[in-house]
Amino acid sequence: MGRVGATLKWLLLIWMLVVIWAAFLWVPSAQGFKGESSRIVFFHVPTAWVATLAFLVSCIASVMYLRRRSPVDDHRAAVSAGLGLLFAILATVTGAIFARIMWGAYWNWDPRQTSITILLLIYAAYFALRGAVPDPEKRATLAAVYSILAFVTVPFLVFVVPRIYFSLHPDVVTNPDPDNRLDSAHALVLLASTMGFTGLYAWLYSVGSRIEAIRHRRRQEVL
Amino acid sequence: MSRWLAEVVAVAAKDLRAELRTRVALNALALFALTTLAAVSYTIGPFRLAEEDRPFLLAVLLWIVILFAALAGLDRSFVKEEESRTAPLLRLAAAPSVVWAGKLVYNLCLIVVLTAMLTPLFCVLMGFEVALPWRFAVLLAAGGLGLAVITTIIAAIIAQAMTRGALFSVLSLPLLLPLVIFLIQGTTAVSTGDLETYRNSLRAVLSMTGVMTIASAWLFPLVWRD
Repeated sequence: MGRVGATLKWLLLIWMLVVIWAAFLWVPSAQGFKGESSRIVFFHVPTAWVATLAFLVSCIASVMYLRRRSPVDDHRAAVSAGLGLLFAILATVTGAIFARIMWGAYWNWDPRQTSITILLLIYAAYFALRGAVPDPEKRATLAAVYSILAFVTVPFLVFVVPRIYFSLHPDVVTNPDPDNRLDSAHALVLLASTMGFTGLYAWLYSVGSRIEAIRHRRRQEVL
Repeated sequence: MSRWLAEVVAVAAKDLRAELRTRVALNALALFALTTLAAVSYTIGPFRLAEEDRPFLLAVLLWIVILFAALAGLDRSFVKEEESRTAPLLRLAAAPSVVWAGKLVYNLCLIVVLTAMLTPLFCVLMGFEVALPWRFAVLLAAGGLGLAVITTIIAAIIAQAMTRGALFSVLSLPLLLPLVIFLIQGTTAVSTGDLETYRNSLRAVLSMTGVMTIASAWLFPLVWRD
């Protein structure tokens, strides 16, 4: 990591501090929500977006592995799936806190909560599979196949299940009704936060990939 | 094409013949389903549920019984080949797509036997009334196909891993859950006679089955190649 990387890291820190400040102190509280609960959207939506992005990256890395058979792609897929799992848990927790304040219970099996639970189970199963195959090449192939299978179920969880059942989940970002959209200050902070969290993901991903590369090299040296 | 079909039928027929000799998978499926059904029927019976809850709760119970029975026996299709060390021979004898389709047909046969045996028994023992019987049959067939497609590719994956039995349930359940949610929705609808919901659920089941079929047909050769 050169000077550019170090600068980017510091920029990311400052960016995230500004986002946190703006989310809690600068933006006025949104209408129609209890107390200050609407502010959690600035952390909930970006973590959910990063989780989706991480699973997408993991799926792409898996496809690349099946094409090129390079262990680097397998490491990338595993690191990204791990980060996706982490950010999906963060999105679940922030969502549950919001649900407690707005709807009275942390967990009520709202369709969104159901689909994220299944998503967490799928990627937990991905790591269970990785743990059960000792041979590295075979593990990489089977994990890549499962990761792709898992990713093709994601659209059903994210788009179909919530549409079939009635959901309380607010739809402020893609809502076609203009009265129900975010105003410009909220949209600005949400965009900044999303960019910040995406940057955070990119940084964690590059650190994780480098750690995996070192581990791989050590294993080669021992053998 | 016809040659490909003949080879697929040959693989499925080989598996069915071997299955009829030992009946390992069939016994596992049938006994698991019957034991669960006996437990459910004994504790709940036809009169224990409130009238307005019946369609939904009985749909949930039916699919839980089918799902758990399926998870008990459908991994045999590939695990059997690895255990009896016949997998390398099958790799030499048939193309990967033939093996995949043959095993899919075999798993589908097992599920058809299971649902054909279990569903009438369930309706009788639990007093499950179906307003749209033909549509219920279509939904069961679509659900059975979805179950067969997903369990076939997962069975192929776990046959290569250690601790196969536990891993099969762990890997299959999350992928099957969305499908089962749609199937429960549809089964409730055929019980109450709600055509609109039935159509939506059937569409969801079929699209998920279609996507999974394409994905597994493409991915299977990569799993199967040694």
